Amino acid sequence: MKTLIRLQLFALAVVALAAPAPRLAYESQVVVLVVTTQDYDPWKPWEKKTPETRIVQAVVLDGSLLATTADLVEGATVILVEKHGRPLREPARIVHIDPDANLALLTVDSPSFFRDLRPAVLAPSMPTEGQVSTVRWRSGQLEVSASRISRIEVGTTYLGALEHASLIVETDLSGGGWSEPLFADGRLIGLTYAQDGQSSTVTPVDILRAYLDAARAPGSYREFASLDVSWQVNRDKALTRSLGLEGEPRGVLVTQVPWGSSGCGALRPRDILLGLDGHAIDAAGYYEHRRYGRLKFTQIAVEGHHAGDVIPGEVWRDGKKVSVRLTLRPARAAQDLIPVRSSGAAPPYVIAGGLVFRELDGDFLRTWGKDWEKKAPPFLMTRYDLFRTTQTPRRRRVILLAYVLPSAYNLGYGNLETLPVARINGRDVDSIADVDEAFQHPDGDFHRIVFEPNPVRAEVVLEAATFEKATREILDEYQIPQRTRLPETPLPDLGDACAERR
Amino acid sequence: MRSRTVFFVLVATSVWLAAAAPRGAAPAIERSVVRIVNHAQRPNWYSPWSPGSTQWLTGSGFVVEGGMIMTNAHVVSDARFLALYLYGDPNPHEGRVVVEGHDCDLALIRPVEPNLLDGVPALPIGGLPPLRSMVETYGYPSGGDQISSTQGVVSRIDRQIYTHSAADQHLAVQTDAAINPGNSGGPVVQEGRIVGVAFQNNKQLESVGFFIPTEVIRHFLADAKDGTYDGYPDLAIRTSTLENRAARRLAGMKEGESGVRVDWIAPGGSADGSLRTGDVLLRIGGEPIANDGSVASGDLRLPFGLLVDRHQIGEPLALRILRDGARKDLSIPLKTYPGNVRWSNQYDRRPRYYVYAGLVFVPLDREMVKTFGDDWMSNADSELVYELLFRPQEDPAILKKERIVLLRRLDHPVNVNIAFFRNILVDRVNDRSIESLQDLVRAIEENQGPYHMFEFAYFGRVAVLDRAAADKANAEILRDYAVPKDRNL
Repeated sequence: MKTLIRLQLFALAVVALAAPAPRLAYESQVVVLVVTTQDYDPWKPWEKKTPETRIVQAVVLDGSLLATTADLVEGATVILVEKHGRPLREPARIVHIDPDANLALLTVDSPSFFRDLRPAVLAPSMPTEGQVSTVRWRSGQLEVSASRISRIEVGTTYLGALEHASLIVETDLSGGGWSEPLFADGRLIGLTYAQDGQSSTVTPVDILRAYLDAARAPGSYREFASLDVSWQVNRDKALTRSLGLEGEPRGVLVTQVPWGSSGCGALRPRDILLGLDGHAIDAAGYYEHRRYGRLKFTQIAVEGHHAGDVIPGEVWRDGKKVSVRLTLRPARAAQDLIPVRSSGAAPPYVIAGGLVFRELDGDFLRTWGKDWEKKAPPFLMTRYDLFRTTQTPRRRRVILLAYVLPSAYNLGYGNLETLPVARINGRDVDSIADVDEAFQHPDGDFHRIVFEPNPVRAEVVLEAATFEKATREILDEYQIPQRTRLPETPLPDLGDACAERR
Repeated sequence: MRSRTVFFVLVATSVWLAAAAPRGAAPAIERSVVRIVNHAQRPNWYSPWSPGSTQWLTGSGFVVEGGMIMTNAHVVSDARFLALYLYGDPNPHEGRVVVEGHDCDLALIRPVEPNLLDGVPALPIGGLPPLRSMVETYGYPSGGDQISSTQGVVSRIDRQIYTHSAADQHLAVQTDAAINPGNSGGPVVQEGRIVGVAFQNNKQLESVGFFIPTEVIRHFLADAKDGTYDGYPDLAIRTSTLENRAARRLAGMKEGESGVRVDWIAPGGSADGSLRTGDVLLRIGGEPIANDGSVASGDLRLPFGLLVDRHQIGEPLALRILRDGARKDLSIPLKTYPGNVRWSNQYDRRPRYYVYAGLVFVPLDREMVKTFGDDWMSNADSELVYELLFRPQEDPAILKKERIVLLRRLDHPVNVNIAFFRNILVDRVNDRSIESLQDLVRAIEENQGPYHMFEFAYFGRVAVLDRAAADKANAEILRDYAVPKDRNL
């Protein structure tokens, strides 16, 4: 009986908490986006796949803006907005998008659209515990689901590069993860970006606010930053003592400092990173956040900072404490040798003598389906796992011979696929533009494509004299409208190479 | 306990096929077919000090000249006790392995009783059966007590992977005669002569089995004549086809000339020191190599490696090559390729390992990655798959070294705080490059410093042990985890 009474009391408490939930307010703060996307076919980058339409949520913000997650709207062909659950749809357009932070802002140009909507009020920060509401429109009805904050975890955004604290929420909502807004005490605390079973992951209001401030600020957008250094926990006394640091283990051991990362020029492998921006880092890689408790230290680069900021750090190096200054670099997937995602822009490619070349990236690897990490060719996956972040000034992309459009001209090569290219006609190829350029300079009577060592074939040789004609005929035969698509902008300069391990 | 393909019951077929066998031929053959029960003990590569669990499996064999029984190596591998059952004799007889060829999946065994096979006819060995001709198989599928025979057509003759080692290719014959587990090692017969030894099937093909043809059997017997088996020679090269005219022109080949390009050469293989990458192999053993890498063999075209297979270790192999525009005739002394061991399934040997302070170190090889299961190529850590399969393509010299893996940790307060302790490649220990298990032992045992520093491959990861504490804990850890010996080098 006691248990029953307790349950009843608990139910009353929930009702009491839920009662002030401004359901009517949500109706004016949450809208539906009907998003039509048509992605390029990674295997036929000159073509687009069948269009797909999905229903996602967005939240109304001050300044006639709608906020949603970037992965749901990037590259959309059409975005329509429904409000108040009614099927009257207005076209929306993206005002700003940051795929690495996985956030986007949209607006509707119709002057009257926002008149009967109310901007959501942003909570000052994400709550750390308690009941919250996850809100979405479904079949014209507003669905307000009870959710409970489970924990705060620092992780990387979906298909992005930004590492930040996210809320992990246990929710009654089914099938979520499509940018449903969450509210606590009527204030916006975040947007979902993933859901596994009843556990959803939420971009918190802290990141959303920082994004809004940066996107609204005059001048160029100040990107979020990430540290991007490899490190390992430092719990072992023997390890710290071997490096001359006495006392209890503290700080993390820096193991790799990739080119273009925030550690470049400041941190070195075998440094023990003791503190950053005034925060002490413990041996497991956590620091004490003033509101959220222990968080992984990589959050320090995000909170209150943007790319370009300089933050102080303290390292244990060569048996003594050394102060360093880290210039924070942008969190960009594109900085990786094999980016987890290419931007929504059309993928670059070259077709030469029927050989289809493209860059190796996560978009291509994900074509092996849901279990792509297990099903994609081990030759590519091992590279992805081991060398993904190892871009260097001389090696910025992996160029693949994706496959061959068979013809009499390229006889004998028809079954080749997914081979990384090292050189074409004696020239290193580091981008699709390099591939196109290299084919302008045959090696005597031939075009020679030399692959990175692989278990299949060392090189392909084609006749130079008939190359142009054969390429045209193959494009005609396979009805391919365009021989090449080159990148719109070259990759940015990431500065000097980093200090190596002593 | 590892799973081994063991054997399905197909009793009904044997009745039908026995009736279809040529009258008068069956009894003599049947008398020569032996059921073999192998009580095996297979080591566990995850706990490499453990002798492993015992299991039993059945296969077949047949009597050959010299009072011996021929069977597959996979039927008698890892044997602790072999029981032989002769036709019509209900009593088991002990057998011992005389010689095994794991690269060709053949073995010879001998009964312990000296005169056991007296009066049992040794089956004569014939030749390669023509395509579409009928053959009969004899054996004890599924370990049944009664002999079974099946009949089928020779449907393909090709060079293919022998799954017992998983790293060797030889000639094999495909038939639609039912070859099921338990048939393994049994004779395939045509007109009263052995034309092969049943050995494997293919899960992706229905009603298809494979047998080892007599040229492989004869090669094995000739090799094993001195009582030891040395194995097949191996050029240990990778070549690519030259079907495209431009590739042939660039290589300087004349119209009508054909061959394949040498893309990669393993250090220590037969070709090492004689061939160079970029050479074109024009002829092998006097036979022209086609642009697709095939050579003529009777009415068939088969991969040129077949002509290497037809030699024994120590014999010279004649090659004509095209190098820098000039044609050269070479004679290469053939040898086995010891580096192949890392890619092969291993049998009849104890795993090599070293345990120090609860850290279990083993060489990187196929058995190590198989601790991830049959689908190890997808499931094993990328650094292991890359180093085993792909890095040697980029850096053949790496094949001269042994790569050492920290397989796992036996938890103890002395090691429990290290950050990386599972399936991770060791590059350096105490500032010494580690290129063998022995190197690792020396680097640890000869270290006089206060710490042991382990540097792992990729991402700059490290682990450190306090040397005095580790030395002290070593015996205790071996005792607590019931590791009888700290090493098998």
